[in-house]
Amino acid sequence: MFRRQAWQGFLFILPAVVLLTVLVVWPMIRTIYFSFGETNSRLQSTRWVGFDNYERLFTKDKEFLNLEVFPPEGALINNLKWVVLYTSISLALGLLIAVLAVRVRYESLVKAIIFVPMAISATAVAIIWKFVYDPDPDVGSLNAVISLLGGDPITWYGRADVVNYALIFAYIWASTGFAMVVISAALKGISEEVLEAARTDGASEWDIFRRIQLPLLSLPLSVVTVWLLINVIKVFDIIYVMTGGGPGGSSEVIAFSMYDETFTNAEGGYGATMAVVMLLLIIPIMAFNVRRFRSERVVG
Amino acid sequence: MKRRWFIPVAVLSALALALGGCGGDDGGGTEEGDGTITVFSLWGGSEQEAFQKVLDKFTADTGIKTKYESARDFLPVIRTRLAADNPPDVAIIPRPGVVAELARDESLIPLEDMGLDPDTINENYSDTWTSLATVDDKLYGVVAKANSKSTIWYKPTSFEQNSFQIPTTWDQLLDITQQYDSKGEKPWAVGAQGRDNSWTLTDWFENIYARKAGSDNYTKLFNGDLAFNDQTVKDSLREMLKIVNDKYVAGGIDTALSIGFVDGIGRVFSKNPVAEMYMEGGFVGGIALGDVNPDLKVGTDIDFFPWPTIDEANGNPLVGGGDVASAFVNNEDNKKLIEFLSTPEAGKIWVSTGAIASPNKGVTEADYPNELVAKEAEQLKTAESFLFDGSDLLPGTLGQDFGTLLQNIIKNPGQMDSLLDDYQSQAESAFAK
Amino acid sequence: MATAEAVVRPRARTTSARIVGFLQKSPVHIALLAISVIWLVPTVGLAVTSFRPRGDIQSSSWWSALTNWSFTLHNYNLVLENAKMGSSFVNSLIITIPSTLLPLALGSLAAYAFSWIAFPFRDTIFLIIVALMVVPIQMALVPLLILFRDLGVADWYVGIWLAHTAFGLPLGIFLLRNFFITLPRDLIEAARVDGASNMRIFLKVVLPLSVPALASFGIFQFLWVWNDLLMALIFVQNSDLWPMTIRINQMQSTYGIEWHLLSAGAFLLMIVPLLVFFALQRYFVQGLLAGSVK
Repeated sequence: MFRRQAWQGFLFILPAVVLLTVLVVWPMIRTIYFSFGETNSRLQSTRWVGFDNYERLFTKDKEFLNLEVFPPEGALINNLKWVVLYTSISLALGLLIAVLAVRVRYESLVKAIIFVPMAISATAVAIIWKFVYDPDPDVGSLNAVISLLGGDPITWYGRADVVNYALIFAYIWASTGFAMVVISAALKGISEEVLEAARTDGASEWDIFRRIQLPLLSLPLSVVTVWLLINVIKVFDIIYVMTGGGPGGSSEVIAFSMYDETFTNAEGGYGATMAVVMLLLIIPIMAFNVRRFRSERVVG
Repeated sequence: MKRRWFIPVAVLSALALALGGCGGDDGGGTEEGDGTITVFSLWGGSEQEAFQKVLDKFTADTGIKTKYESARDFLPVIRTRLAADNPPDVAIIPRPGVVAELARDESLIPLEDMGLDPDTINENYSDTWTSLATVDDKLYGVVAKANSKSTIWYKPTSFEQNSFQIPTTWDQLLDITQQYDSKGEKPWAVGAQGRDNSWTLTDWFENIYARKAGSDNYTKLFNGDLAFNDQTVKDSLREMLKIVNDKYVAGGIDTALSIGFVDGIGRVFSKNPVAEMYMEGGFVGGIALGDVNPDLKVGTDIDFFPWPTIDEANGNPLVGGGDVASAFVNNEDNKKLIEFLSTPEAGKIWVSTGAIASPNKGVTEADYPNELVAKEAEQLKTAESFLFDGSDLLPGTLGQDFGTLLQNIIKNPGQMDSLLDDYQSQAESAFAK
Repeated sequence: MATAEAVVRPRARTTSARIVGFLQKSPVHIALLAISVIWLVPTVGLAVTSFRPRGDIQSSSWWSALTNWSFTLHNYNLVLENAKMGSSFVNSLIITIPSTLLPLALGSLAAYAFSWIAFPFRDTIFLIIVALMVVPIQMALVPLLILFRDLGVADWYVGIWLAHTAFGLPLGIFLLRNFFITLPRDLIEAARVDGASNMRIFLKVVLPLSVPALASFGIFQFLWVWNDLLMALIFVQNSDLWPMTIRINQMQSTYGIEWHLLSAGAFLLMIVPLLVFFALQRYFVQGLLAGSVK
């Protein structure tokens, strides 16, 4: 019955579609094109090199991927560490806090404390944690605790072997609130009677969590996981501010290398290749989102 | 009311118009300026204030306004601005390697094209300096300031208390280092974090290499005629590791790699210092007095001595750097500024702030306000031989990566050989381009 | 929640029962306390530091200031004036406000069409937009820079406004459309029967009923843009126009790690998000939930 209005529908979406086409889709195509070429220092493409950039990225660039040492090193491996640790720990902590907090009266206070870091920028998070990690035990809280326990201060962001974990934890601190809030909202949806009934039947709290709450949380958990994954594949700001990729390039991730190659080294083609790799990593998530949406539509 | 939905259409057509209306006016010739010059450089803090005095004088003389912009991450900012065709009018470029690259991409304007006579501009400078701004026989700018990088900063009172003499040989310097250490003091601070500060390590290496392997090898190495995994390089690195190690650097290598170069200065010259000596160029004095700790007294709290010789046969060459002022836009205003920066007058105003030494022949000893900069200027003038900061001359990304290489070597001295091999293969392809 | 408890639990609990209950839960309390402390300490430490004189920061720890009070606003004065954080604060607002309003306006227009106007390929186009939600900005940085060059807008804010708008739109359309379709169909049909145009229905019926959704997305986008560093690094080129995120970085490299400056700068950067968060927490959390849990 709305058929005569079809052209109005197009008009309504036109501004958005035009902007998305010109500012998102077309640049994507350009970047994919760039990734097969080289640029000059003004980032204008100058030469077609085929798959050379991709070959260099995965076989020759030891800062990106170094398989000659064990365990392997490089920006890609660092990003992998980020993906695994950041996603799993944020999720686990968010779940833990949500499940615990629901049992106490000061729930909203605890949740506010955990959630506040979500609102602030990665730049501020980096400064806050640089202060926590300061090597001087009279400045850095973490080294103060270590000294108190009789240990030697650790230069958290100066050591190649710990810098990535220091950065990852700072970012977990900032993101756990998100996981917690989403999970907590889902927990509230589970009726209290069901839980009480289980308790009366003698089920332990652990059983209740595993057999009743957890299965009902599978959708929100997957949602949070997707969000965390997207976030972590793109991670850049916190590293740029806290370590500048150092020491010696050991905290670089894909997004950082992309920025560095493109804008410091004027290797626009090579940087584009890294951007494409990021996109390839994200595409499965994209597909998941689209599928989820379609299945929801069928249900609704 | 009914027409409200035309808004999206209006937005769209505006965008279409804008998209169609892209034009450039890259015509030749020197155009009229708009009365304001944006000048871009990497100095902030006290260094920026000092340079501002030069710009103020220029404005007073010519009526042309200037707008100073700065960013420590100089290269990314210049590149994004060039890519967007929004370059600053004039930039003061810290690395001649970058000058050459930008000149060859035709991003910089040759002075001749601006109607400036290279010979007149060069009158006040020795060939050492003019060569830095010359690319393929064309002059692209003036060397606005010069730095000795062969300076080691120390605390005279502390030397006095310990009865240390100013070291003239490497062994004497190592001896002082050990003595400080045996007294429980940390002899050195190093600040070499990330990409923006790794150049402090390249300066360490260059000073040692010039003295240990000699000027000829130095020139060959940084011109691509000698391999980076050559034995001479390894020998010099071993000398460097005698000081730049966990034992002698305050906080160890981990700390050195987690603090910037200004923080490194602070670890020696702030109100609660943790180390005794700092190796970096002449500009350390200005930053220490201007930003880190204004209460310092020159000659008792802070001073420098020239790098000691390592191998007498190689003498004591001076490693130094210079910043080149170049124009990205060809107009009358910019022409006047470049011309002004090449005059002794501009040099005198600038050195009077105590922030820099000037390579300009017209600037004399009497123009320097304190003995630190006067000494630096003297060192520059009387050097038996002058070597330009080698890593700044390396092509493409090699200069940046050389800093990263040294970060990795001081962190893992055991992997020196393989790290150098990797870097050499990278250097070969970069020099081949 | 409160009602559920009232139903299940006996209303009158003796004091001893309460104590027993509390003790049974004590591992829970201890765990939550520990977590809360870990989460609070970093921010509190920096907050305390931002009010301490420079000399004190260098000579004693921030926790010693908790027992030995000596605070000042001088650091804030310093960063506002010398380090140009004041003008950067204004710049951040100039960048953020249009970058929030534009996707709100264009996104809600599109979301209305996707919810209440039937047109060919509607679902396909919508699915493509859902897919665009996760495209990393890195895929567009250089081409956008070149586009802004061709448009001649690289030396001002237009570029960053457009970039943030485009990259905020997919989420905006998605969130708002999900809300719009929950509005009662009868209401919209009734307006149509009365002869109202789509624009009129959108402005007079849908928008007024959707304030919570608009607020949620608006706040989300506002914070996103305010907190952004990467896009500003590329698209805000003139240093007079820099937002606070870039300015703080410059401060760090110019003056070194001077905690009296960095801490005050970081808190100025955090003030607006914290105010928004505490004043509009409900909308913010709803926005997050709407974007994630269906």
